[in-house]
Amino acid sequence: MYEVRFHGRGGQGAVMAAQALADAAFIEGNYAVAFPFFGAERRGAPVLAFARVDKGKIYEKTQVYEPDYVVVLDDKLPQLVDVTKGLKEGGMAIINTPLKPEEVELGKEVKTATVDATSVALEVLGTPITNSAILGAFAKATGVVSIESIEKGIMDIFGARLGEKLAEKNARAARVAYERTQVGTCKGTLKYPEEKKWLPTVQEFPTGGALGLEVKTDAGLVGLGSFVENKTGSWRTFMPVVDNSKCANCKLCWFYCPEGAIEMLMNMPENEGKNIKGIVIDYDYCKGCGICANECPTKAITMER
Amino acid sequence: MVERRLVSGNYAAAYGALRARVQFVAAYPITPQTFIVEHISEFVNDGIMDAEFMRVESEHSAISATVSAEATGARSFTATASQGLALMHEILAIPAPLRLPIVMPVVNRTVAAPIGIWAEYNDVMPQRDLGWMMMFVEDNQEVFDMIIQGYRIAEDKRVLLPFMPNLDAFILSHTYEPVEFPDQEDIDDFLPPYKAEHAHLWPDDPMAIGVFTPPEYIQEFRYQTEQAMQAAKKVIKEVNDEFAKKFGRDYHGLIEEFMTDDAEAVLITLGTVTSTARKVVMDMRKEGKKVGLVKLRFLRPFPKDELRKIAEKVDAIGVYDKSISYSAGGPAFVEVRNALYGMEKPVIGYLAGLGGRDVRYSDVRLMFEKTLEAAKSGKAEKELVWIGTRGVQP
Repeated sequence: MYEVRFHGRGGQGAVMAAQALADAAFIEGNYAVAFPFFGAERRGAPVLAFARVDKGKIYEKTQVYEPDYVVVLDDKLPQLVDVTKGLKEGGMAIINTPLKPEEVELGKEVKTATVDATSVALEVLGTPITNSAILGAFAKATGVVSIESIEKGIMDIFGARLGEKLAEKNARAARVAYERTQVGTCKGTLKYPEEKKWLPTVQEFPTGGALGLEVKTDAGLVGLGSFVENKTGSWRTFMPVVDNSKCANCKLCWFYCPEGAIEMLMNMPENEGKNIKGIVIDYDYCKGCGICANECPTKAITMER
Repeated sequence: MVERRLVSGNYAAAYGALRARVQFVAAYPITPQTFIVEHISEFVNDGIMDAEFMRVESEHSAISATVSAEATGARSFTATASQGLALMHEILAIPAPLRLPIVMPVVNRTVAAPIGIWAEYNDVMPQRDLGWMMMFVEDNQEVFDMIIQGYRIAEDKRVLLPFMPNLDAFILSHTYEPVEFPDQEDIDDFLPPYKAEHAHLWPDDPMAIGVFTPPEYIQEFRYQTEQAMQAAKKVIKEVNDEFAKKFGRDYHGLIEEFMTDDAEAVLITLGTVTSTARKVVMDMRKEGKKVGLVKLRFLRPFPKDELRKIAEKVDAIGVYDKSISYSAGGPAFVEVRNALYGMEKPVIGYLAGLGGRDVRYSDVRLMFEKTLEAAKSGKAEKELVWIGTRGVQP
């Protein structure tokens, strides 16, 4: 049996990638299982999906803790999450990155395959959704499943959800990524701070789970207002860039920003009484959704990669 | 031709409804069930399923419409989870005494508070006393098979009770695994069209169903429903055996025993934990430890005689629960111990995986080891064991 853990962000399609891989392995006559772990996801939040493949029936109905392969759909994730955690001895990381395997930094020195899946996805699909491309890299790097089966798996799973045309494009993205995949060994130089999570015992647990404002714990803030510590800026693929000379102070971007990451210059205390136009974007929290650029009537905001 | 595909538990349930030639579906979405009615809406739209598809404004309406449709004699279906099932509670009490054989899969999800979307049985356990046959499945194949078998059992003239297969949120509903779908002809042969004889709302042959009933009659209703539930035990086994012969998959009826011969300790499980437990048993047997597994497939009707037979041959019994009845223990534990009244064997209740916490291999192994200890010592150290709770010794 081999076990695979997919690291992605909500909206990148890690769940469908796991399903398409399992389908590909199933087509080759294996027993295969794919399943997600859903947190309280939104588009852009780190997510996990899993796959298990074996010759015979698989009984484990648990999450995967010691994968043989980890697949990383987002090149910025390894900075935040130790994607090699629990990776089996001799296991492999398959990573979406423009870097060569030898240039990649992870938490452990492991066999690593790289492909610039974001560029492949932008070229072939016109959108930075990397779930199909990374499967091409998986087939090339591991050899445990053929690229032809991956293409069929994508046709089955993506086809059922997105229609045949889009599925075909995604199969092509897998093939292009397959051709561009490089295999080597990464650097094990990345250091992760000890993972901190607030996990109170029954005795410490607040009665009724009621939490007040910014409750301090060893793992950071919890409760109301704790989101200030969750810097979501790393979720961005595209970044809004503002030309304040074009700003009309209409406040549409400020109003529509789902993160409250836009501040009007005229509302800042130091600008009180001044006739000033423009905004400041807080890149610590901006997720790069592009709503501001879409709404801006004067095209003062553009999205750049 | 038999087809084998990699599908989710939700798809298996929806496709089961299609293959059972369900004629009426009421649909209201709720995570993690939504895909069931969503798939069915696609089947109906694509013209591959000939059913009346009714969108309703709540789960209360979904079950009301399903009860009404079933009362016309149409094979009827709906699906729900969690808060949706709780909202149905009032109407859930109706189909059993009226003897309406609805099949309704429930994707088990925690009931608030606190709000969550993951697997727990505190949605379904409060519905135990309403006359529904309730069973818990282990994998996606069983989801599909039990929709087909469910109608056959429910529509049997000796039974005529609603049927509720339960599947774990996400662990099955959103998990893709291989499922075999038999030939439609064979399914049709196994499950002929439903002919409502005792109750039908037909304009040309009118009938009164569910009318205001004074005390002179209600007790007979209850007794009759109890008789039907008792009769279901035999029918479930018969239907299982016929299904096994025809399609090659034997679920053994009310319970399934796995490596219980010469076992000193057995664990009784519900739902997907059963599957992980099989692996644990196989591994522990290799180490020479005499453990066995009992898959409690049906909670209603409750397999009292079958469990007593197993208890006779073992020294201790563990029972897994994915929900708690506060101060009483896990519901399955309470019922098993009640069934074993007077047998003087240690029975231990285990709680794990509440709110969807992953029940790991090591968690299940601990249940077996503790039960084995009780088998050796002849007594249970603790009646209720919380596994994996921070600050609480298991």
